Amino acid sequence: MQKILNQTRKPWQKVIMDISSTKFNPAPVLKVEDLAVAYKVRGGEVEAVQRVSFEIHRGESLGIVGESGCGKSTLAWSIVNFLGNNGYVKRGSIKFMGQELVGKGGEELRQLRGDQIAMVYQDPMQALNPSMRLDEQMKEVLTVHRGMSEAEAEKHCLEMLDRVYMPDPTSVMRRYPHQISGGQQQRVVIAMALLNNPALLIMDEPTTALDVTVEAAVLDLVADLRRDFDTAIMFISHNLGVVARVCNHVAVMYAGELVERAWVNELFASPQHPYTQGLLRALPKLGADKADSVLYPIPGRVPPPNNRPTGCIFSPRCDYVRERCRTERPQLRPVKNPTMNQPTWVRCHFAEEIDPAQWIPPADLLLPQMGEKKISAEPILTLQNLKKYYPVQGSSLRDVVGLGEKRQVKAVENVSFVVPRGSTLGIVGESGCGKSTLVKTIIGLEDSTSGKAEFMGFDIAGDLNTRNANLIQELQMVFQNPDATMNPSYTVGQQIARPMQRFGTVPRDQVRDEVLKLLQRMRLSEAYYDRLPRQLSGGEKQRVGIARALASRPDLILCDEPVSALDVSVQAAILNLLLEIQQEFGTTMIFIAHDLSVVRFFSDDVAVMYLGQVMEIGPAEAIYAPPYHPYTEALLSAVPVPDPTVQQKRIRLEGSVPSALNPPSGCRFHTRCPRRQLLPDGGKICVTDIPPWQENGDGHRIFCHIPLETLRQFEPVIKQ
Amino acid sequence: MLIQDCMTRHPVMVPPTMAASEAQKVMAENNIRHLPVVEDGKRLRGLLTSSSFALKTDTLSSLNMWEISRYLSDLKVAQIMVKAKDVITVEPTRTVERAAAIMAENKIGCLPVVDEEKIVVGIVTERDVLRVFQEILGLAAKGVRVTVRMPDRHGEFVKLMAVFVERKWGVMGIGTFPSPRHPGYYDAVIKISEVTSAEVHEALRAVEGQQIVDIREIV
Repeated sequence: MQKILNQTRKPWQKVIMDISSTKFNPAPVLKVEDLAVAYKVRGGEVEAVQRVSFEIHRGESLGIVGESGCGKSTLAWSIVNFLGNNGYVKRGSIKFMGQELVGKGGEELRQLRGDQIAMVYQDPMQALNPSMRLDEQMKEVLTVHRGMSEAEAEKHCLEMLDRVYMPDPTSVMRRYPHQISGGQQQRVVIAMALLNNPALLIMDEPTTALDVTVEAAVLDLVADLRRDFDTAIMFISHNLGVVARVCNHVAVMYAGELVERAWVNELFASPQHPYTQGLLRALPKLGADKADSVLYPIPGRVPPPNNRPTGCIFSPRCDYVRERCRTERPQLRPVKNPTMNQPTWVRCHFAEEIDPAQWIPPADLLLPQMGEKKISAEPILTLQNLKKYYPVQGSSLRDVVGLGEKRQVKAVENVSFVVPRGSTLGIVGESGCGKSTLVKTIIGLEDSTSGKAEFMGFDIAGDLNTRNANLIQELQMVFQNPDATMNPSYTVGQQIARPMQRFGTVPRDQVRDEVLKLLQRMRLSEAYYDRLPRQLSGGEKQRVGIARALASRPDLILCDEPVSALDVSVQAAILNLLLEIQQEFGTTMIFIAHDLSVVRFFSDDVAVMYLGQVMEIGPAEAIYAPPYHPYTEALLSAVPVPDPTVQQKRIRLEGSVPSALNPPSGCRFHTRCPRRQLLPDGGKICVTDIPPWQENGDGHRIFCHIPLETLRQFEPVIKQ
Repeated sequence: MLIQDCMTRHPVMVPPTMAASEAQKVMAENNIRHLPVVEDGKRLRGLLTSSSFALKTDTLSSLNMWEISRYLSDLKVAQIMVKAKDVITVEPTRTVERAAAIMAENKIGCLPVVDEEKIVVGIVTERDVLRVFQEILGLAAKGVRVTVRMPDRHGEFVKLMAVFVERKWGVMGIGTFPSPRHPGYYDAVIKISEVTSAEVHEALRAVEGQQIVDIREIV
């Protein structure tokens, strides 16, 4: 029995869960054995989940990790009987507290599960009724399941909201769901899920839609609650960093099958299955630099459910494939690990013989050359005090007539920076920080309110009409959501050809050849020329989007979160592609992301934005090491790192982002700054004065009142 | 150490309307000997133990062979369970030694843990108390286990602790009891880490008025 002594936790230490409870309570809360879930579709049926087995004990948290389409949500729904009309459990058993759930009817299931299984979804609005006040919804959980009186229920709800660290619970209870922020909604949903003290809590990507700092707070909450309530948690996510933080066991799913199941430290330290190894290689690590490490995407595609390979399901994409893999389906079996008393289970014939440390990239995997980049000193884009305010039409009579006070959403405030030709600038910030607005202003989709913007010597601060075709040609954009940005009625070839035809970059008769050449650079075959967008996968659509942006041979490409909507392995391929393009064409890029590790990997310079202002800007290595702006420090400490052993500082921001309609005076971050106390008088100067830009050399500037010497003394957020 | 710290939360529970045969399967499947019966949002209605399944000969003697099998197959948990009013329960905020006392006094093996509204929040069994006992005396830790006998007088224990303070020894488990068969004396059992038994023997031998009755090394 392991006994962990209770030490006072230093700010950056992780809490190791005591596993002694499992030794004395061998019966698991949830036991899934050889489960297969199928959907009846036109023309037959499709097995979305096959041969999945795992157990979750009290107080344990199992992370189910996989890319889109691997069946993890189907797995969760099959436990709560949410499969819909055409889904059913084909084989196997699901035992909850020893009682079989498969094969039972609706009413029996309701009694069995009743108040013992709770589920938290990705979108809190799915669980919250938008037409009922929060207190009514929360009380309903107790009055229906427990027959409590209204007054008792109200008291319990308030207590629970307190437990989930909701500020001002009494007033929150009286509000409707749309009147609170996304992070607060998710807390309410978690509070509702825990009201009845369930034995099993299923969380389906609960933090994917939330900002990094909010996500960190919600994850802390989940960890605290697990400790207090001893609930078994099934945590579904595609983000390995989140899983590393919250779970103590991890199960990796691929194409509907469970390929590896291990204790969390083991999974990250020594992954056994080639797919897990591939996933970990495709992740940008927060500590790594562009030059130090390359992202290795996993070649190939996930097989569609109706066309799965015989033999091992990963064999078409595996680097270690042998004859046996193609013919014989491997079983989920334990791999003995002498250091741990809990073996790793892996679905691979040759797991013992595979050593990830010896892996070399296969010859046909084309990777960008990590050479020196040609960054010239000449700036291609200069912004000076750029402002963008959106007027807000008030609704009172005075506003309609025009006598009311003019209110404005101050979306971008005084942004100034210079982008040298050939470099990449990464812009990082949470939702509402103005990064998308900034980019839209640069490209001309919005016109700026004031300030100067110069692109290649030409003034672009004015209206889009003042820009001539040449200028537009040199400034192109890649959008976040590939589905929304392609015209569904035009073929791929037509969409890429359009900029070429419009700007006349190549003579008319050579357009098709040029398009095919571009497609080839994007690793798309000729066949894609005639395909429609709906026939492409997410990654392929994004490649077409990039090809379209490149079609006019621009000098500057603005990428608005190009990889956020993609899976990890596809993300790696697209990032490598962008790097290659930059090296070949010498294109300058402005890259927006909310994932700090991606930005670090990809950019030369990074700008951190908060509520319309740039808080820190400088070379990438400088941003990730002290001195930090307090906001950057909080962001870095909130990012979930896919390594459970890393020591990461724990700085959490209080409150939520203020409204841009009425931003705080002086430094906009002063309402939430954790380092404000370092200044005399409790940081009064932060409220009254706009901070100065402090230079740290090499182009690194910090927008803060705290002197640089103090900021330099802080320890780095992440210690390896 | 309160009951809420050592109880099993989310115990396996069944509704009163479940068939007795199924409840028996649940107990076997989960490897437990006590099963709380709840209804209406985990409110305690009764308790099932292994002895609940023993056939009551007086009930059955009046039935013939066919009726017996029908009776058995129709048997519901509500008919064989110990009713809620006869079930002894505890609150989660009471101490673990109180739970042990209740169990010993009433010769029962388990106590459902309920809150003010009689909602079951956990269960504490003999196994849990035995486990806590092992943890108190530091069974799992490696080190030297020494039993020191001292007169039942004020200030004696502090004399012993002075040695520990001076040597800065780490204590992995400690328990004190009145000495069996030696009225007027108390025994202190202490598990010390990272020492040798020779060191301990030499240091504690010198404590005035106290006697080492047992010393062993646990590896």
